[in-house]
Amino acid sequence: MNAKSMHWVTRLAALGLVVGLTAGFAVAGVAQSVGGQAYSTFVNTPLGYSGQSPLAVLPAVSGTDGAMADAEGSALNVAGALSSDFLNSITSGEIGTAETGAQSTASAASVNILNGLITADEVVANVMSSASQGGAFSSADGSTFTNLAIAGVGSLSGDSPIAPNTNISLPGVGYVVLNEQIPSGDGVSSTGLTVNMIHVYMQSLIGGGCTPLGCVPGVPTTAGEIIVGSATSSVAM
Amino acid sequence: MKREHRSLIVWPSLIAAGLLAAACTDQPNVSMAPKHPDFWLTPPPAQCPTGKWTGGGRIDPPRNPDTPDEAVHPEYFAVVLPSMTGKFTFGFNVFLGQDADGNCIVNKGEIEVNGHAQKIAWHVAIHNGVDAYDGRPVHATVFSDAHPGGYCLVVGIPDDYMTARENGKGSTEPYELAQFEVCDNDRGQPQKGKPGPDAMRWRSEHHGDTHLIYLTGGNIVEHGS
Repeated sequence: MNAKSMHWVTRLAALGLVVGLTAGFAVAGVAQSVGGQAYSTFVNTPLGYSGQSPLAVLPAVSGTDGAMADAEGSALNVAGALSSDFLNSITSGEIGTAETGAQSTASAASVNILNGLITADEVVANVMSSASQGGAFSSADGSTFTNLAIAGVGSLSGDSPIAPNTNISLPGVGYVVLNEQIPSGDGVSSTGLTVNMIHVYMQSLIGGGCTPLGCVPGVPTTAGEIIVGSATSSVAM
Repeated sequence: MKREHRSLIVWPSLIAAGLLAAACTDQPNVSMAPKHPDFWLTPPPAQCPTGKWTGGGRIDPPRNPDTPDEAVHPEYFAVVLPSMTGKFTFGFNVFLGQDADGNCIVNKGEIEVNGHAQKIAWHVAIHNGVDAYDGRPVHATVFSDAHPGGYCLVVGIPDDYMTARENGKGSTEPYELAQFEVCDNDRGQPQKGKPGPDAMRWRSEHHGDTHLIYLTGGNIVEHGS
């Protein structure tokens, strides 16, 4: 190859470099991140309070790295509100060159909510989020209830999934959302999912009453909540 | 954030334009900038010394056995143990390395496995190349499996295995020998199937062997060096 053609090759290569560097930095300039959290129980009611427990939170992950956190609890008892045992929470996440992901799982056994109003032998919340060339994606596969029963409503035998965001009224108490799913992200460059397997919203009526002119209904207001089995995962690129 | 992003585009453009101008002068030799890596790479073959593996999820043995991958290296699981069944949830993070003799070891790692029918929570912690519960190195191996492009990691290969702590109502001793295997069968992609194609196996000296089982949910990621 003579000197003249060498120069052309050099110039073309440098032009490619302009395009490559610009595109490369434009993409890589946006930091990747992963997040995860899991806990078995949370009680905030007039009957008593217990914070998110046992709580596992994913430590910060940077570069091409990964991390994991876990927490265990033998039993939890908030009198009249919730009792449960074998409580376990795990979260992990990684930033890779081909795939970035986070996954969390929380579980609780021998669940008894509000003196037998809701019972289950076991509850497992399981979520994962992943981003790769194919896009960003979250899933709650593996989230199930074992022998779930709700007094006055019915029961399920064995290990069963339940449709996301199943809302059931609990007369005199409020309502419960089973397999409550809260998505986040745009599904392209970010994604996330929180699943709360049992989320009881306790309500009380504020206002209302009757006069000789008629009756005015009270306004239902949240007076407390109980969560069993909560797992969150998220990724962004 | 927007402003920071924009400046990250502008500065490389100016630098690159400068390089282009330099290339257009009559200098016979232009040193090319080093190759800039693509953002998402096709994963290279998994290997031990630089390997990093992370993941978690759930298996339900004996349902959904990953029989083809379990048959690949039976020598690592030659000791026959009774089968464990029921729900297992888990999470882990393992960074590999090598010892002075070139053997594959775990430099740093945490593994948590919960056996729900057994009511046992096992935990393994490895720091600075040694098992936190017995002070010995933990040997590992990485190999390609029966799925095209798939790789498996075994932590605690014979004859040393590794030591796991037991917690929970069902625990029978504070510590015991254990082995952990995971397979990333969709490298560079999220696990979208149910079950699998990623898989996990847990073996405990006193409680048994789940065998290699496709994940009911979760993900295994071999995320390279």
